[in-house]
Amino acid sequence: MAAAAHSVATGHGNAAHQRETNRLGLWLFIFSETFLFSALLSSRYYLQGLARPHELNQLLGLGITVALLLSSLSAYRAEMCAAHGNQKGFEHNLLFTVAMGVLFLAGVTIEWYEAAHYFPPKTGFGTIFFTTTGIHAFHVITGLIALLVVYGMGRKGRFTQGNYWGVEGVVKYWHFVDVAWVFIYPTLYLVG
Amino acid sequence: METSGLKLALRRGWWVFLALLVLTAVEYLVLLVMPAGNLIYMIIMNLVDAALILYFFMHIGHLWQKESH
Repeated sequence: MAAAAHSVATGHGNAAHQRETNRLGLWLFIFSETFLFSALLSSRYYLQGLARPHELNQLLGLGITVALLLSSLSAYRAEMCAAHGNQKGFEHNLLFTVAMGVLFLAGVTIEWYEAAHYFPPKTGFGTIFFTTTGIHAFHVITGLIALLVVYGMGRKGRFTQGNYWGVEGVVKYWHFVDVAWVFIYPTLYLVG
Repeated sequence: METSGLKLALRRGWWVFLALLVLTAVEYLVLLVMPAGNLIYMIIMNLVDAALILYFFMHIGHLWQKESH
């Protein structure tokens, strides 16, 4: 009884309170990540101003942006399906999200191959381009790993209508990766 | 077994995606018609993009709501 009272008082064992705490913690983590990307984006303007190489593959940049936006839509759909107990919808949408993430990485790989030829890392723009897209790609890879872990847990029936924090957490992280790209794409490809 | 709540949420997702897609297309068009001096337009569109994702996809509003169960 005393343990239960302590549990309620401290929030331990209280699922709703635990979810609120988890959510706040994740948002604080995401907030801290924005500093990293803000520093990278501001370095582009500090070092290069608004200069942009003509050799940038604009269509590829647009294509991988659309792929990432599509992945955000399917991630959202996966979370909503999990929240409403639609297991099949959750699984299909999460797998589609992973597929779009892999497609995005494939596009970045092609872009790196071309960039290494036209503006290698030793050049000013190359330094910014490879550092920013590299750190972002690392986030995409970690997001993909997390999505696959959650997919595996979901297939084992670990998430229910009222208990799907794992899905919510990884989907929020994935959306953050998308928000970061929403700023990276114009900063590297479009601004002039 | 799609409930009406789920259908509504999924439909909202498509609308948000469509808005993001249109904004991205407009950004690309701005590049084509205004290759230089477009910074302010890009920033405005990026902020709208981010706000849409934060509000509708990431449910930032839930941070200020009490969990019911």
